[in-house]
Amino acid sequence: MNPITQSADLITALLMGLAGAGHCLMMCGGIASAMGINTRPHHVWLYNLGRVSSYMLIGALVGGAIGLFAPEGGYTTVVLRWLAVLFLLLLGLYFTGWFAGLVYLEKAARPVWNKIQPLAAKLRNKPNGFAAFLAGTLWGWLPCGMVYSALSWAALSGSAGNGALTMAAFGLGTLPAMIAAGHFSQFLHRFLQAQGVRTAMGILLIIYALWSMLTLIKPFFQ
Amino acid sequence: MECFHCLQPVPKGVNLSVEYKGSDRPVCCAGCQAVAQTIIQHRLHAYYEHRDPTQLQESPVLPDELNDLALYDHPDLQKDFVRHESDDTEIATLTVENITCGACGWLIERELMRLKGIQKAVVNVTSRRLQVTWSPGELKLSEILRALAGIGYKALPFQPNEAEQQYTRQRKNYIRRLGVAGIATMQVMMVAFGLYFGAVSDLSPDLQRFLWGVSLVFATPVILYSAQPFYAGALRALQASRLNMDIPVSIALLGAYSASVYATITNTGEVYFESISMFTFFLLTGRFLELLAKERALKFATNRLTLLPKLATRETENGSESIAIRQLNVGDIIRVKAGETIPADGSLLSSQAQVDESLLTGESLPRSKKPGDAVIAGSINQHSPIRIEVTATAQQTVLAGIVSMQDSALAVKPKAQQVIDKIAGYFIAALLIIAVITYFCWWWIQPEHALWVTLAVLVATCPCALSLAAPTALTGIIHRLNRDGILLKGADVLESVKELDKVCLDKTGTLTEGKFRLVERDDVIDSETVNDLVSGLESFSEHPLSVPLSQLSESPAQFQNVENEIGLGLQGEFNDRQYRVGSETYIQQWHPEFKALNKHQVIIASRERVLAQFRVEDQLREDALVTINWLKEKGYQPIILSGDSQSRVESLAQELGISEYHGALKPEQKLAFVTEQQDTGNTVWMIGDGINDSPVLAKANLSMTFSQASDLAQTAADVVLLSEPLSQVKTVIESALKTRRIMQQNFVWALVYNVSILPVAAMGMIAPWAAALGMSLSSLLVIGNSLRLYRK
Repeated sequence: MNPITQSADLITALLMGLAGAGHCLMMCGGIASAMGINTRPHHVWLYNLGRVSSYMLIGALVGGAIGLFAPEGGYTTVVLRWLAVLFLLLLGLYFTGWFAGLVYLEKAARPVWNKIQPLAAKLRNKPNGFAAFLAGTLWGWLPCGMVYSALSWAALSGSAGNGALTMAAFGLGTLPAMIAAGHFSQFLHRFLQAQGVRTAMGILLIIYALWSMLTLIKPFFQ
Repeated sequence: MECFHCLQPVPKGVNLSVEYKGSDRPVCCAGCQAVAQTIIQHRLHAYYEHRDPTQLQESPVLPDELNDLALYDHPDLQKDFVRHESDDTEIATLTVENITCGACGWLIERELMRLKGIQKAVVNVTSRRLQVTWSPGELKLSEILRALAGIGYKALPFQPNEAEQQYTRQRKNYIRRLGVAGIATMQVMMVAFGLYFGAVSDLSPDLQRFLWGVSLVFATPVILYSAQPFYAGALRALQASRLNMDIPVSIALLGAYSASVYATITNTGEVYFESISMFTFFLLTGRFLELLAKERALKFATNRLTLLPKLATRETENGSESIAIRQLNVGDIIRVKAGETIPADGSLLSSQAQVDESLLTGESLPRSKKPGDAVIAGSINQHSPIRIEVTATAQQTVLAGIVSMQDSALAVKPKAQQVIDKIAGYFIAALLIIAVITYFCWWWIQPEHALWVTLAVLVATCPCALSLAAPTALTGIIHRLNRDGILLKGADVLESVKELDKVCLDKTGTLTEGKFRLVERDDVIDSETVNDLVSGLESFSEHPLSVPLSQLSESPAQFQNVENEIGLGLQGEFNDRQYRVGSETYIQQWHPEFKALNKHQVIIASRERVLAQFRVEDQLREDALVTINWLKEKGYQPIILSGDSQSRVESLAQELGISEYHGALKPEQKLAFVTEQQDTGNTVWMIGDGINDSPVLAKANLSMTFSQASDLAQTAADVVLLSEPLSQVKTVIESALKTRRIMQQNFVWALVYNVSILPVAAMGMIAPWAAALGMSLSSLLVIGNSLRLYRK
C-alpha cells in the first residue's frame, strides 16, 4: 500500500476517534468513577492506555487475520475498502443523528461483552495502577460502533502491525479532552459534546466517505 | 434527549434504555447500555446520584478564578447588583467578555437554559450584557458564572468600569493582531508583485521558490495569530449549530494556507499567501473599526451611570455616621442635606420637604412632601436638611426597578443582525455545498486540479465583500454622525428608518429647553410697580417658576416677614401692607371669587385686590417648529408623550401644530402606548431625556436622547445627540436613509459578484491570483462605496 493512502487512512481513523471524543470521555469517565479507579489522575491515564491497548490488540488481530488468510489482491481489497467506506458513512450518519444503523451492529456484539463483563466488574476499587490498566483493557471490549468502524479500516491495512497502528490513531483521537488539563478540558468537552460540532464532524466523515466511494467507482469508467 | 450514561445527544431512531430506580432511561448506544447496566447491577447507583455533569471524571482542579466565583453568592455583595424580584426570582445583569458575534449569544442563551433553576437568559450582543433571571432556591449565581466559564465566557456583574476595561483590553488585542497582519501583508504583497511580474516574464525556479518561502514566513503569523478571532467565531457557531461567515472564512484561510504550504514544500501548484494575508487584514480592519465605534458610544453612556451617591449619613444613638449606601438597612434613619441626592427609598420624617424628582418622573416642578410621604432614591432634596426612614435600598429601589425595566425592554428588541446572519447562513450553506460538488467533479475529470479549483471557488466567492457590506457602511455612518455630534450605538437605526411612521417626543427638555420664561401677563395696576413687588417677593423663592419673575425688576421691593407656604406661594410685608404671590388657590384664600385667566398660574395680590397674573412657560426649543414641520412634510407623524399636565401639553401641541398628544403619563403608560403602537404594526421612534423615558426609549424601535439627559436615558437610547439642536433628528434620518442605500448597493454588488464569479471559478477558469485579486477588488469596491458616507 502506498504511504499517502496509508497516512490518509490513519488520519481517517484519528478523525473518527476525534468525532466521538465527547462520548468516550463521559463513557469511560463514568466507568472509572463508578468503579473507583479514578482516585489518582495517573490511574485514569493508565485506564485509557489499557483501553487503547485493547483497541490495538483487536486491530492487530483483524489486520493480521486479513493479511494471513484473505487471498492477496484482487477482490479482497476492493471488498474491504467498500466495507470500510460503508462503515465510515454509517459513522458519519450516526454522528449527524440522521441514521443510527450502527446501533444494530453493537447489539449483535453484546454476547462477547457479556463474557468479559464479570471480569471487568471484579476490578472494582483496586487502588493500584496495574488494576486500572487492566480494567481499561477489559472495558476496551465494550460493544462500540465507533470501534467497529475503525476496525474496518484496520482490516484494510493488511498486516497486524498496521492494524494496530490504525487503531492507535483512532484511540488517540478519543483522548483530546484528557490530554488538555483542567479548566480547558472542561471547555473542550462542552465543545465536543455540542450537537452542532458532532454534526459538522459527521458531515466531514460523510463527505470523506462519498469521496472514497468515487475513488472506488472511478476505475470502472476509465 | 440525552444519554443517561454519557450525556451525549441520543441519535434519532435509537431506542435503547436501562432500568434505573424503576423507570426506563434512554441511552445512546449498546456500549452505554452495557456500562450503565453493569454499574446498576453492582449497586453503584451512588455514581449517578452524585456525579456532577459539568465536571470531568478526573475532577480537574478549578482555577482560583473559578473558586472565587463563590464569593458572588454572598448576600452583601449581591445587594449591589442582584435585584430580588420575589422569593423565587432574582435578576442580575452581567457583563460577558469575549462575545464576538450572534453565535455567542445563541450559545450562551442555550447553555444557560439547560441549567435547572434558570428562568430567563437574554444576551445583548452589542452591549455584551446578559440579563439572567433565576430561582435562588434551585441555583446559585456562582453556578451560573461557572457554567458560563465552562463554555469559555467570563462573566461578571455589570459595572461600568468593568465594561470599559473590557473594551480597552479587546482593543489592544485587536491592535496587536492588526499590526501583525498589516506589516506581514505589506511584505507578502511586495513579494507577490515580484511573483506576478515573474509569472509574465521568466523567473528562475530557484528564485520563485525562495520568494514562496519568504511569503510563507510572513503569512504564518497572520494565519496562526491575527486570524484567531475568525476561527473562534467559526467554532462558536458550530457549537451553537449555526452557520456564520466565519466558517467559510476559516475554511478558505486554513485551506488556502495549508495548500500553499504544501505547494511551497513540494514546489508545485500555486501559492495564496498574499491573498490570505490581505483578506485577514481587511476583515480585521472592519471588525476593529466596528469595535472602536461601539466602545466610544458605550463609554459615553456608562461614564456617568453613577446616579446614586456612594455615602449616606445614618443616625446613631450618639449622633450620626457616614456609611456606604450598600450598608444601609431597611429601618435605618438617614439625614440628607439640602442639595444632596437621596440615597435610598424611604418615608419622610421631617415636617416638610421639597424634592426634585425630575430624574424619575420628568415632572419639572419640585414636589412637596409631608411627613410619612414616600421619597425616592435618586431624587434631590431642594431646601432644608431632612430625615428619612429607609424603606428600600440598592437594587430594591424604584430607580433600580426602572433600570431593570429598561434592560428587559432592551432584551426583546428586534436584533437586526440576526436577520442578516440568517440570509448569510443560507448563502454559506449553498457555498459550502457547491465547493464540495466542485471538488468532486474536478476530481473525477482532472484530479490534479481539484484542490486548486475548489480553493479558488472558496477564495473568489468568499463572502468577504458580503461580510464587509454592512459593517463598513455602519462604521461610515457612525463616524459621520459623530462628527456632527451624534452618537450612534447600534445598527437598529438602519433597520427601523425604512418603516418609520411615528415619532414620539417627550415635552420637557426635548421640545422645550427645560428653562422657564414669562410668556403672558395681565396687569391690573401699572406694570412697573407690579414688577418691583413681584421680583421682591419671588426672590425669596427657589421654585423654578419664580426664576423669570424674580428677574423682572432692577429695583425689587424690600419685603419683610416673608413666609413660604410650600406648594402654594409666598406672603410678605412691604410698606406695612401684606402681599401674596402664588397659585390660584393661594390667592383665593384672600379673594374667594377670583378666577385666574386661561393658563395664568402665578398671581400677585394685596389684601384688597388682585394686582396682576402671569403665565410662565418652559421655553420652546428654537428649532422645534422647523423640525416638527420637516417630520410632517416627510410623512412621519409626530406625537407628544409627556408626564406633564394635559393642559400644558395641549397648548404646546397647538403651538407646534401637533395633532396627537398625551399628557400626565407615567413611565409605564408611555411604555404601554409605544407597545400598543408597535403591536398595531407601527414603527415608533422615541425622543426623550428623563429617567422616566428610559424604559420607553429602550422599547421603541429607535430612540434618541440628548447628552444633557439623564445617564439612564443615554444608556437606553440608540442615538445620543451631543450638540443641542433638535434638528439633528433630520440629520440622523437622512444619514440613516443614505446608509441604507449604500448598504443595499454593497449587498447587491457582493451578491452579484459572488454569484457570477462562482460558475467561472467552479469551471476552473480563474487563476489563483486572479481569484484573490477579484475578491480583494470586490471588497475594495464595497469599502470605497461605504467611504462615500464620510463625505458630507
